[in-house]
Amino acid sequence: MNDNDRPDQDRPHLPGSGEERLSPSPYPGSADPGSPQRVDELEKRFSVEKQLDLSEKSYSQGQLVRRRFFRHKGALISLGVLVGILVLSVTSIGWGPVPGWWGKSYLTGATVLDGGRPTLSLWPPSLGEHPFGQDNTGKDYFALTMRGAQQSLTIAFTVGILSTLIGTLVGAAAGYYRGWVEAVLMRMTDLFIVIPLLVLAAVVAKIAGGGIWALALALSILVWTGLARLVRGEVLSLREREFVTAAEAIGSSSGRIIFKHILPNTIGTIIVSATLTIAAAILLESALSFLGYGILPPETSLGLLISQYQTAFTSRPWLFWWPGMFILAIALSVNFLGDGLRDAFDPRQNRSAD
Amino acid sequence: MLQFILRRIGISLFVLWAGSVLLYILTINSGDPLEDLRESRAENRDQLIASRVEAMNLDEPWYVRYWMWFTGASKCLVLQCDLGTSRGGGDINSMLVQAAGSSLRLVTLATALAIVLGVTMGVLSAIRQYSGFDYAVTFAAFIFFSLPVFWAAVLLKQYGAIGFNDWIADPTVSTVTTLLIALVFGLTVSAVAGGDMQRRLISFGATTVVLFAVVTYFDSVGWWLRPALGLPLILLLSLAAFGLLLMLTSGLRNRKVITAGLVTIAIGTVLYFVVGPMMEDPSWGLVFALAAISVVVGVGVGFALGGYERRTAVWVSVGTALAFGGFVFFDELLRNWGTFVDKTGRPISTIGSGTPGFSGNFWEQIWNWGTQLILPTIVLTVISLASYSRYTRSSMLETTQQDYIRTARSKGLSDRVINTRHALRNALIPITTIVAFDFASLIGGAVVTERVFGWSGMGAMFQAGLDTVDPNPVMAFYLVTGTAAVLMNMLADIAYASLDPRIRR
Amino acid sequence: MATAVPEIPTVTSDTGAVLSFEDVDVRFKTEFGSVHAVKGVSLDVKPGEVVAVVGESGSGKSVTAMTAMRLLPKNARINGHVVVNGKDVGSISERAMRKLRGNDIAMVFQEPMTALNPVLTIGMQLTESMELHGLAVGRDAEKRAIELLEMVGIPEPERRVKQYPHELSGGQRQRVVIAMAISCDPRVIIADEPTTALDVTVQADILDLLRSLKDKLNTGILLITHNMGVVADMSDRVAVMFKGELVEQGTAQEVLLNPQHDYTKMLLASVPRLGAGRGQMGIHVKDDLDETGDLAIDLRNLVIEYQRLGKPPFRAVDDVSFQVRQGEIVGLVGESGSGKSTIGRCALGLIPAAGGEFQLLGQDITQLNRSQLKAVRRRIGVIFQDPAASLNPRMPIGECIAEPMVVHKVGDRQSRQDKVYELLEAVQLPREVYNRYPHEVSGGQRQRISVARALTLDPELLVADEPTSALDVSVQAKVLRIFSELQEHYKFACLFISHDLSVIDLLAHKVVVLQNGRVVEAGPREEILHNPQEEYTQRLLAAAPVPNPVEQRQRREERHDLLLALGDEISELKLVGHEDGSGR
Repeated sequence: MNDNDRPDQDRPHLPGSGEERLSPSPYPGSADPGSPQRVDELEKRFSVEKQLDLSEKSYSQGQLVRRRFFRHKGALISLGVLVGILVLSVTSIGWGPVPGWWGKSYLTGATVLDGGRPTLSLWPPSLGEHPFGQDNTGKDYFALTMRGAQQSLTIAFTVGILSTLIGTLVGAAAGYYRGWVEAVLMRMTDLFIVIPLLVLAAVVAKIAGGGIWALALALSILVWTGLARLVRGEVLSLREREFVTAAEAIGSSSGRIIFKHILPNTIGTIIVSATLTIAAAILLESALSFLGYGILPPETSLGLLISQYQTAFTSRPWLFWWPGMFILAIALSVNFLGDGLRDAFDPRQNRSAD
Repeated sequence: MLQFILRRIGISLFVLWAGSVLLYILTINSGDPLEDLRESRAENRDQLIASRVEAMNLDEPWYVRYWMWFTGASKCLVLQCDLGTSRGGGDINSMLVQAAGSSLRLVTLATALAIVLGVTMGVLSAIRQYSGFDYAVTFAAFIFFSLPVFWAAVLLKQYGAIGFNDWIADPTVSTVTTLLIALVFGLTVSAVAGGDMQRRLISFGATTVVLFAVVTYFDSVGWWLRPALGLPLILLLSLAAFGLLLMLTSGLRNRKVITAGLVTIAIGTVLYFVVGPMMEDPSWGLVFALAAISVVVGVGVGFALGGYERRTAVWVSVGTALAFGGFVFFDELLRNWGTFVDKTGRPISTIGSGTPGFSGNFWEQIWNWGTQLILPTIVLTVISLASYSRYTRSSMLETTQQDYIRTARSKGLSDRVINTRHALRNALIPITTIVAFDFASLIGGAVVTERVFGWSGMGAMFQAGLDTVDPNPVMAFYLVTGTAAVLMNMLADIAYASLDPRIRR
Repeated sequence: MATAVPEIPTVTSDTGAVLSFEDVDVRFKTEFGSVHAVKGVSLDVKPGEVVAVVGESGSGKSVTAMTAMRLLPKNARINGHVVVNGKDVGSISERAMRKLRGNDIAMVFQEPMTALNPVLTIGMQLTESMELHGLAVGRDAEKRAIELLEMVGIPEPERRVKQYPHELSGGQRQRVVIAMAISCDPRVIIADEPTTALDVTVQADILDLLRSLKDKLNTGILLITHNMGVVADMSDRVAVMFKGELVEQGTAQEVLLNPQHDYTKMLLASVPRLGAGRGQMGIHVKDDLDETGDLAIDLRNLVIEYQRLGKPPFRAVDDVSFQVRQGEIVGLVGESGSGKSTIGRCALGLIPAAGGEFQLLGQDITQLNRSQLKAVRRRIGVIFQDPAASLNPRMPIGECIAEPMVVHKVGDRQSRQDKVYELLEAVQLPREVYNRYPHEVSGGQRQRISVARALTLDPELLVADEPTSALDVSVQAKVLRIFSELQEHYKFACLFISHDLSVIDLLAHKVVVLQNGRVVEAGPREEILHNPQEEYTQRLLAAAPVPNPVEQRQRREERHDLLLALGDEISELKLVGHEDGSGR
């Protein structure tokens, strides 16, 4: 990671006396120049080594990354938006048996008030009876949108976690052991050149049958290849690093090398692409639901809502806007989050900035 | 290089075959093809079931059915495809001919546009790193990344098509709008041009004023309904293209190259008057013949006048000749806009992949074709533009930190030469590897987009097949898109090999 | 009219410096605050003169040089004046600066492998600056490019101009870089560590070339280097820098033979000298060995091959035999591609042998299964070259050192920790680094941690692959001293792989010289290094520079005599078509 200390690069070091608090070397001798003791003393005075300031707080790589991440305003805002949406969608209509603070259900219709127009007003701030309006059967659109967001987020995070697990393991095995695992992985990624992911996902999702967990599982077994490829690339280069060779030479088992030495060093790549996978999964799920292969009614998702109400655009545009804006907001904040994490893990491109 | 490409083709063909097996198995297991009949209350239900089992060979095991499809499809190699019939009895071959053309046009055009625009934006934002332009492009890319395709398509259909059609009925631009357009362009140009405050102010001011004047002029003469370039604008634009080519190659240093380019434009002007009458209603053959003539003229002029820098002169002259020809073509196209609008009334199509029963001359056909294509193309381009621009930007930034860029600087080369000659070529190498993946995702995007715009293209065929658990349309879709993807991949490999001498050999 | 021959400028006066730094001061703004990289440096380079700037990491020597090209990153703030050929670099416009670069002042970089653009032909890269500066265009420029390649001693220049950088070796690429630098006949060349990435014989050739270049073209050269031998070989005057300050300046003889400043003295005292043998820098390796001890390594006719796709396998090691006894240090020397590291990796069981026998601590490792191999590995320690890469960045230092004990299930938590503390003390690092991470310590300290890790299980054999090549000399001295003390204490056998003959001279009992995977010569240190029999060993020894200008001049002449006797050419600038002195 850090190669500041190679000679011949002349990267400026912080000036300092350069003394090291080290025990003196045990050489006796007179004080003429060139004698060991004198040399040792000079070495201390003119050392180019970094001064070990043991009073300073020690930072692990993880802590450094965290510090850099919290300086990235865009990513922090995105994190806030994402958490906000998550909390809003879960608490408002509740989760499973736990009721939420929003009284209306996304399943029951009611009389359509005022043509189903949204009652949300920013100033004076008030939610009104149906803040996002109502659909043509009078269902509360806020509840529907929240339910859609819940479903979409659940699928996205499940897909993100599952495919990251699969991708990491396969990628690490392919990069470390090479051989058939690698060949299979590479051919599988090639497969997505000839069969578009959306097409394959549509077929698999149709087989899965419209349930949320089945859909999440179906998407997970498809989208891990990208991450696996990235991890493989990283592992291939880490495997040539000397600390891995040293671990092999010590006699460490392959498992220990992969899990203790290689994977911790790919954590940046993994986390970043996991976030991007989540964003991609949101879009993929909504596209499938739009086409009719994803979530099926009476359950709902953001993509399905758009699909159901796209023809109502001219008469009741809010039915189109709300779920779309939620998809956009979720995907955008996850993508920004990923970008912030990338900068935090790999600050190379930013350093020349300031 | 040949070995490299042959190896890649071999792998691609293997993957293409493996994909067909996978997709076939998945498709026939995606549901019950007899579901509708089983629920039916028709009296001859059993007979209907039996005849469908018979027609779709449902009593055969999957590998037999696959083999039947495969033998039919493999006849495509001798151009005698037999892709079977759909569940409803339609002939897949004829369905495919209708569907494939419009879809492939859409995807190919979107890919080309996305590569050109995306790479340009990426390069510019890398060169102007941390400028307003860079931030704007980055932010736009993130929005595009996160945009659901279908949602964007519906929005564009609403505002792009219906809005434009309403506007073209009585096309006027208000002063405020004109000012806004001029300001946006001015800001963009000054951000791209960069430099110090003075230079930016000048480029901003000049662009804004010129654009404001142009839009106001166009508005006052009713250009929107009767657009044209005319010879003066053709000449001006050709000179601009020539200047750009010069900037990218030899700069203003070499007189011979400059002379060659100017002579090319002069010859073009003469030819303009000669071929003018023929352009009233040409054919594609004539257009291509004229393009070929332009190339010949360019090569000839460059070769004759290039002197010691013959190669550069030939490139610049050919480029200039083609640009001139292109502007003449465009001019003629614009001139036919008015009659096209009169014929259709609402030019931008929102439903379907072609106006049924439309007839017109060569140019009107192009307009008809173009106005169908424009919205889906914009949607697809915008979505894949984002990844190209981000990828190019980071690749370009990575490249400009390399040692050989420092070497180039130490020779005294200007930023222009360093960026075009030294950095760009290296930065493009990794881009070629994402073309194939991006093409695949564009096909996926096309399935969605076609549905929004109501095209009866490949996407509709795929969906119809999948909905009825009918493998033949799905496989026909796969055969076309998969082959197109393999071809695209091959092009990308060739581009890769020609960019990187380490692969050649 | 541009005929394509460098002009020999008439020397106007002896005092007219072509490059001068006046009180140059550079600060970098970084995310951790401002870094004062160069603190008021004044220096002159005259035509036909080589001025060497020496210093270790962080001395600011490269930064100083880059101010003359005005190519420092944007976060640099430069004060003072840099004058190139009469023009003040700090005050001229960007356009004028571009005219200056390449034309008046040119640069030779350290890494020939990355300094050339991989996608452009050699010819293209040579001609573009000539065309830019208006020296020659089109086919004239191409002709001149061929001449330039011939001048710097590249065979078949007509073919080479059409080739790409990857088709040339490292030494040839550096010659191309030099040809590029002289293509516009600059008044001064900045050579930034021009030979650091090269093998020692190639280094000697490139230095010869640079020397003849300044003699024949009367170009001034500012040589940036950390290598005292190169300084002694090349420079007329020397400037020593330490942490941004110029601490001493004078003629090469003054500075190298009679240093005044303490830092210079320390630096010179840290350089191991080839031929000086034992006892330098307070390092005393005992020479009394038990010649009948057990063999730690016994190689017989070892062959190692690398499989290549679609080509016959590459034979990296071919029929190599030698022995290492218990308690003995055997130096394995050779240039890049000699197979020395491959043998080291084979000794660690990382690469399989394709043929021959490899007896390691009494067992044939080519026959071992996994658990037997693990048992043998317990008895071997290893140190690698790159301090930046040899420790896992995500593991605290204590864990790194304790890892062998964990892997081989030795001791419990407490005893492991005690052992780590003991080892830290042995490599003279404070206990507190136990919980620190590798990125918090610097190169030499990391390399000492590697030594500690290698000794965790009291190995009988240590494989050290270039353990100090990436370190500054003063740091290297300390690591070597610790290493030799530990060797004396633990009495492990050691396979010491190095390209640096003077380090081998200091430490090894026996020397094995390798070339292209074969043993050229092997035997006791005194015999091999002081009285070599084989031609290759002689060349190798003759090419290694020593940090004494007088001695080095003599060695250089001896080397030239040797080369002539062996029927080789001496690298020099060949002025093509220039005998008539017509100039351009």
